[in-house]
Amino acid sequence: MNAVRIRAIGSRVLQIVPTLLLATFLVFGLMQLVAGDPALLYAGENPTPERIEQVRQQFGLDRPFLVQYASWVGNAFMGDLSVSMMSSEPVLDAILRTLPHTLLIVGVSLCLSVLIGVPLGVMAATRARTPLDTTIMGFSSIGIAVPNFWLAMLLITAFSLNRQWFPATGAVLFSDDPVSALYHTLLPSMALAASGTAEIARQTRSALSEVLASQYVRTLRAKGLSTFRIIYLHGLKNIGVTLLTVMGLLVNRLLGATVVIEAVFAIPGIGSLVVQGAVAKDFPVVQGVVLAMVILVLLINLVIDILYTIIDPRTLRQ
Amino acid sequence: MHNQPLIEVKDASVLFPVQGSREPVRAVDGVSFAVQPRETFGIIGESGSGKSTLGRVIVCLQKPTGGTLLHAGQDPYELGSAQLRRHRRDYQMVFQDPNASLNPRMPVGASVREPLDIEGAMSRSERDARVVALMERVGLHPELAYRYPHELSGGQKQRANIARALSCRPKAIVCDEAVAALDVSIQADVLNLLAELQEEFGLTYVFVSHDLGVVSHISDNVAVMYLGKFMELGPAETLMKTPLHPYTQALLSAEPVPLPRSMRTKQRVILEGEIPSPLNPPSGCRFRTRCPLATERCAAEVPAWERHGPDHWVACHYAGAADVANPAPRAAAAVGAQP
Amino acid sequence: MNVKAIRARRNLWRRILSDKRALLSLAYLLGLTALAVLAPLVAPYSPIEQDYSQVLVPPGPEHWLGTDDVGRDILSRLIYGAPASVFGSLFAVAVAVAIGLPVGLFAGYVGGRIDDLVGRVIDTLLSFPAIVLAIGVTGALGINLVNAMFAIGLVFSPILARLVRAQTLVVKNEQYVEAARCAGAGHTRLLCKHVLPNIIHPVIVQITLLLAAALLAEASLSFLGLGVQPPAASWGGMLARAYNYMEISPWQIYPPGLAILSAALAFNALGESLRILLDPTSDRR
Repeated sequence: MNAVRIRAIGSRVLQIVPTLLLATFLVFGLMQLVAGDPALLYAGENPTPERIEQVRQQFGLDRPFLVQYASWVGNAFMGDLSVSMMSSEPVLDAILRTLPHTLLIVGVSLCLSVLIGVPLGVMAATRARTPLDTTIMGFSSIGIAVPNFWLAMLLITAFSLNRQWFPATGAVLFSDDPVSALYHTLLPSMALAASGTAEIARQTRSALSEVLASQYVRTLRAKGLSTFRIIYLHGLKNIGVTLLTVMGLLVNRLLGATVVIEAVFAIPGIGSLVVQGAVAKDFPVVQGVVLAMVILVLLINLVIDILYTIIDPRTLRQ
Repeated sequence: MHNQPLIEVKDASVLFPVQGSREPVRAVDGVSFAVQPRETFGIIGESGSGKSTLGRVIVCLQKPTGGTLLHAGQDPYELGSAQLRRHRRDYQMVFQDPNASLNPRMPVGASVREPLDIEGAMSRSERDARVVALMERVGLHPELAYRYPHELSGGQKQRANIARALSCRPKAIVCDEAVAALDVSIQADVLNLLAELQEEFGLTYVFVSHDLGVVSHISDNVAVMYLGKFMELGPAETLMKTPLHPYTQALLSAEPVPLPRSMRTKQRVILEGEIPSPLNPPSGCRFRTRCPLATERCAAEVPAWERHGPDHWVACHYAGAADVANPAPRAAAAVGAQP
Repeated sequence: MNVKAIRARRNLWRRILSDKRALLSLAYLLGLTALAVLAPLVAPYSPIEQDYSQVLVPPGPEHWLGTDDVGRDILSRLIYGAPASVFGSLFAVAVAVAIGLPVGLFAGYVGGRIDDLVGRVIDTLLSFPAIVLAIGVTGALGINLVNAMFAIGLVFSPILARLVRAQTLVVKNEQYVEAARCAGAGHTRLLCKHVLPNIIHPVIVQITLLLAAALLAEASLSFLGLGVQPPAASWGGMLARAYNYMEISPWQIYPPGLAILSAALAFNALGESLRILLDPTSDRR
């Protein structure tokens, strides 16, 4: 890695600090804004005014906004995300306990999306405007519009109830038993991957079509390169940036969609955690989870940003 | 000798900040001139000379960073914002690209009527009647008022622009490359129209263009602009017959002459090099990098804006010393020209 | 002058109607809306009346789509679920427009450092996982359909704001805007008569696509119990109930699932058609 690359990567890493700060500020502000007076939430059922005041002082809610924010961020940085009102479990522990399950599903789902979506997109692009193309694009439209929890139920019906090939519920930690973990993850990931596959297929097709029609490729063809070489060596490299962009957006969407999938498959992931927290009005949990997810997305986007510089030298100039 | 000028610019400059550089780009750098009522003032320059920016300064679309603009002795920027909006109606502009200057989502008639709508002085039917009259005057069938811009030809759109500029009976109109985007045959029609309108409505024109032929034809006074500064300014006839600045001479020499080559007295002067970037103008005289007469003095010293005759100004250390298009030295010095 | 302007707009409708995909999706959506409005008249049974003698009945002549686990007619519940989905999505997108459009317009028009800051905030907000944020907001506001849809609208507004801002940045420098300014137009007039009409087409496409996303979001939230509250009928809620009885009455999962899928598909198809029809580069009315 030469100096220019290192500097580009370094600048991107530095740029994330203000973004992270802004993000934490927005999370905190949004939650506070929406929650109205958190003291009411903490004080329990039918609180008396004295109780509310007591809670307010106990949790430091009478301090000015920025002070509260600063102390919250400071604590979060130290790993203290407060404690769940329901279970008294430290929020950070809850997050660390549930996150691996979610990450496994999202990871497998992302892999599936790419492994299935890209070939589909290539096929559609190379046979543009044929019935095959129309069919693939039709499936893609359905994939984007289908409710993923419904798809999950269909998969369960087909493969768990009727055929007992896969388990319908439960999850296993990857660190405990990788094979079993993946086995449990397969159906949920497939349900989650539908819209991602559709999106990737679509983007691959459109980006590849553009490349195939370009003058650059026409020159290659005139030189006699086989279609295979053109697609896989030249075509895919050029659409690498597009793919990375889509994957970045997908991670964001998948982390959100995983919430519902976890409910269907009874997976104790971070999505289930936030849903339970929301239902129970467990404010610290909800705030902590949102923060964790935001940081996760920003970090993943940073990685993708760095990958850009490796794949596409043009972005180095930024 | 002169009445109060309708438009007066004193040492105006327009600086644009540049990203990543402390030096701003000096699009207009110290320009002074005056335009009398009912006069046609031409400004010639290549692209990048700053002439369009100067045109926009005159109609208050661009506030000068330095110097003053006076409209009939009044600085428009001293007016309150509501007053300024009213004042602007007297100083209109016809833009270069007929395709881009009409809102694609509004019928052409509505665009022409808009200045009147903003003025709010007449009833709707009166405004519509005025639009019909204006469109007929510029040679457009009133039916076209209902059409959308993409249904009109380039010439028709430009006439609509002229109609719009006229709607509030302005005192002055700045034509920024107003005919550059039109076919040559249409150009003549539009120019004739503009001349008629000037007579009829007593208009003052500022004509900005890169086309020397067009400008010299219709202007009373002409200014030659290069990289944000005026090189020469004077009556059109004087500039055409006895240009004193090498840049003007070169521009003139490039004009097609209806004579066989053997009979031509002037040589075509091809200016060397590219126009320098406005971000980094040459020191001293800006034109020196392409000037056949350049010396060390030109690099060291910015030429002063000097008078060389009644109403004739030049910025050149060697003004009138030679005609770069005519290799033989001049027989008689031009009136008032002193090297 | 008005008659002829109307004629031009009719041409646009003619083009929309001649596109089969646009026509079909529009017809479907209008039918769905009609169903949502006329639900009480069309549904054969009450959606909440329980009949323990008719529990989990498969589809038949009396109950075309069968009954659920407390004897409620599924077809009726399906019909009564339409308003939640249709009007819920409309409300959510309305919120997104009400917040996103002015913010984007303002930022794009004003430009400079304010625009830079707003752009950063928008980009950061866009990196938040939408549903999770919506869940968080709903939990804090109180769990019901209106709050849930408001949360969705809130979460979608940066998407719209980014689009509007980008379009405004381009259009505000167009020559016709300058010409209007030269004629003395003030900011309000410039924004309303010149900028807005020229950015509205991509915004309409985006709104249609957001309607699909809002519909799916509403279904997800109702499924989780964070949207429409029982016993009211909603497609997501019906799926949640059907999930519990999947083994013994698998047919229950099809009606609400297909309803959601077809509605989302229709919105997406309409959006894609509009994108091509309203494309300014092929704008010939």
